[in-house]
Amino acid sequence: MKRFDLIVIGTGLAGLTAARTAVEMGAKVLIIGRGMGALTLFGNTIDLLGEIQPETEMAEGIPRWIAAHPEHPYARTGMAGIENALADFRGLFPPPYSFAALGPGNSLLPTGAGTMRPTYLIPATMAAGAAMTPAGTLIVGLRGFKDFQGDTVSLHLKCRGVTLSLPRYGMEGLTALALARLMDEASFRERLGGAIRRQMAAERFIGLPAVLGFRNPAVVLKTLEEITGARVFEIPMLPPSIPGTRVFHRFREELIAKGADFRMGHPVSGANVKYGRCEGITVQNPPLATEYRADRYILATGRFLGGGLWAEMDRIVEPLFHLPVFQPGERGKWFGERFFDPEAHPIHRAGIVTDADLRPVDETGRVVLENVRAAGSILAHHQAIEEKSREGIDIATGFLAAKRALAS
Amino acid sequence: MTKAEEKPVLFPKLPDVCVRCATCMAACPVSRVTPRFPGPKQAGPGAQRFRSASEASVDDWIELCTSCRLCDTVCPAGVPISELNLMAKSKYLNERGRTFRDWLLVRSDLFGELAARYSKIVNPLMKNGAVRWLLDALLRIDRRRALPAYEYPTFRRWFRTRPAPEGGRRKVAYFYGCFTNTNETDVGKAAVDVLEAHGLAVVVPPQRCCGIPRLGVGDLRGAKEMGRWNVDSLLKTVREGLDIVFSSTSCGLMLRHEYGPLLHLPGAEELARRLFDICEYLLCLHEEGKPAVTFQPIPMKAAYFTPCHLRSLDIGLPALELLRLVPGLDVSLIEAECCGLGGLYGFKKEKFAIAEEIGKDLTEAVARMKPDIILTDCEGCRMQIRHLTGLRVLHPVQLLRDALERRGIG
Repeated sequence: MKRFDLIVIGTGLAGLTAARTAVEMGAKVLIIGRGMGALTLFGNTIDLLGEIQPETEMAEGIPRWIAAHPEHPYARTGMAGIENALADFRGLFPPPYSFAALGPGNSLLPTGAGTMRPTYLIPATMAAGAAMTPAGTLIVGLRGFKDFQGDTVSLHLKCRGVTLSLPRYGMEGLTALALARLMDEASFRERLGGAIRRQMAAERFIGLPAVLGFRNPAVVLKTLEEITGARVFEIPMLPPSIPGTRVFHRFREELIAKGADFRMGHPVSGANVKYGRCEGITVQNPPLATEYRADRYILATGRFLGGGLWAEMDRIVEPLFHLPVFQPGERGKWFGERFFDPEAHPIHRAGIVTDADLRPVDETGRVVLENVRAAGSILAHHQAIEEKSREGIDIATGFLAAKRALAS
Repeated sequence: MTKAEEKPVLFPKLPDVCVRCATCMAACPVSRVTPRFPGPKQAGPGAQRFRSASEASVDDWIELCTSCRLCDTVCPAGVPISELNLMAKSKYLNERGRTFRDWLLVRSDLFGELAARYSKIVNPLMKNGAVRWLLDALLRIDRRRALPAYEYPTFRRWFRTRPAPEGGRRKVAYFYGCFTNTNETDVGKAAVDVLEAHGLAVVVPPQRCCGIPRLGVGDLRGAKEMGRWNVDSLLKTVREGLDIVFSSTSCGLMLRHEYGPLLHLPGAEELARRLFDICEYLLCLHEEGKPAVTFQPIPMKAAYFTPCHLRSLDIGLPALELLRLVPGLDVSLIEAECCGLGGLYGFKKEKFAIAEEIGKDLTEAVARMKPDIILTDCEGCRMQIRHLTGLRVLHPVQLLRDALERRGIG
């Protein structure tokens, strides 16, 4: 049977980062996911910490924040860990489709809900959104594309908005992927650029849904900017996320090229645990169950959506290794009174508590499984949604988990 | 706290498991190219909540699903999306009735032997413009799609008449599949050569069409019949202690993962445990280091394409790993999701344009790579990639065979 140096469970941003970090260190890696991971849901920009002001250096703001949140996953990685991990991530996306910070701290980017949202690393196709002004911006919606309501966006951003009919289909029900694929065609994006130009008054910025091409978004952006003479930016919208899918595919391409074994589509259903170590995991592909073995394991299965955490009637469990889970109190207190409470719902604090090495620990701080580490949103004591820290946690802890796993 | 076996995770097979996250919409090759198919989220769990066994089907677009199963491979909730689609398609076609063309196409296993016997007559006919016009007009088999030529002698006949290797070797059984038998016999010959070079003796147990073409037109009963016959025959081989390898990913997926979980055939699980993709099997032999097979250099630029059904098998990319063992062979992965053919799907006139449009992404990816040769495990993909690119397309075992024999190719 094939034996791996490391098995990563989970194909979200944390798992992909862990696998890539390990492959770069020369390890023989198996990465395995029940589905495609959450990059298609959230992955648009790289959030680090929403409350850092645009003029505050991350390197100043985050250490201060960590000092006040000693249990947060960032306290395990430290600012240096975050910076190293982000540099590695950026290395995977060379120009022209690169990720960059636009200032010392966060930048505000328009969203598909018509709000301005703070975020840190921004793909080249969204950068111009940070510089837009309401009077100088035209928001372009596409008729029949339900996942982006240009009218709502322009209303809330106080910009002018238009909804264009598509040059070719003009039919209901086009998906984000269908549009992104059409954008990859030169003739389509040129016609769209022409149609936008005819609608322009004196705007200097054009906002479009985040569907500017799948294969070569920087080229799509360039074409549209040349034709319109304005700066063009993508606006994040409802899933599936095209920018997130680009990130997923880039990681998968790189991992396979570097010799990682990439598996997707079937759940890891059990772990073989002996004397405080994981000896193997079982993958269900009915009617078969196959065991895979490695010296080390990284658990990056996410929270409730990905199946990393599971809510029973009275408690939250981790269904694979049955690791101790930090509990959010009794069930009646899992959720706040209002859905959009500014405070996170207590259930979001649930998760795996680890030592400095990201190894899960029990209530007394004792390491539960010597060769298993946890990374990403499954960790306890963060509020990724409210903090706007999801991608930062994924990248920083995925990176650290792989480094520490292979050092052991 | 850490006894893992205690509680298996449950994945109930209900449409309500779907949380509408839309990840499948990022994977579906059909909804990516046409607004006529609403995509897996809507067609599968979405529409399922409104379907009733006692009411007539209204979802005529369900026929546009190619059964590539990519949606299943990306779903984070474990929804059996393609199975929901298949059941809905089956019900729709049971009510509406199947065309003569569909009846005929899924029975190619029955006339294949005969067509191969008379291939000297049949092949020119299948290329004849008038015949193709008639097939197009009467049966709606699109005349722009080349029909695969038949070969004689068939693989089965070739195998029967060849000298057996010396005795005392460990035996392995081979499921060759209809297409290898009558249309691409060299794949079977290469499979036998490579297995023998690894010190094995190959046996070919009695076998019929795996039945996956019948699933494609929602004919579950027909598929079950084929399956029952194959399970009975192949189990005899398994009970003699033999492993069985397959060289066609779609046949393999059907035998290994549909006979049991979908068609509930008795004995399917016992059979599945001994079935292996040929490259998966060879890679295992290499990792165990048993036969010291070395490959001779083949200095060439190759591109490998992952068939959709290989993704469902979820065994990684064993062919790519094996090809990397061939010195001088510069092999990289084609970054495209689906070739678009969908088996018989792309031969049908009303679906030809969809298959072509899906294939465009692959054509462009290949154009960027400029390979000398393309390798892929599925006969459908090979047909489509030849059609789209005009390049030489082989099964990975064909190249491995050439690397074993110190023989240049091309």
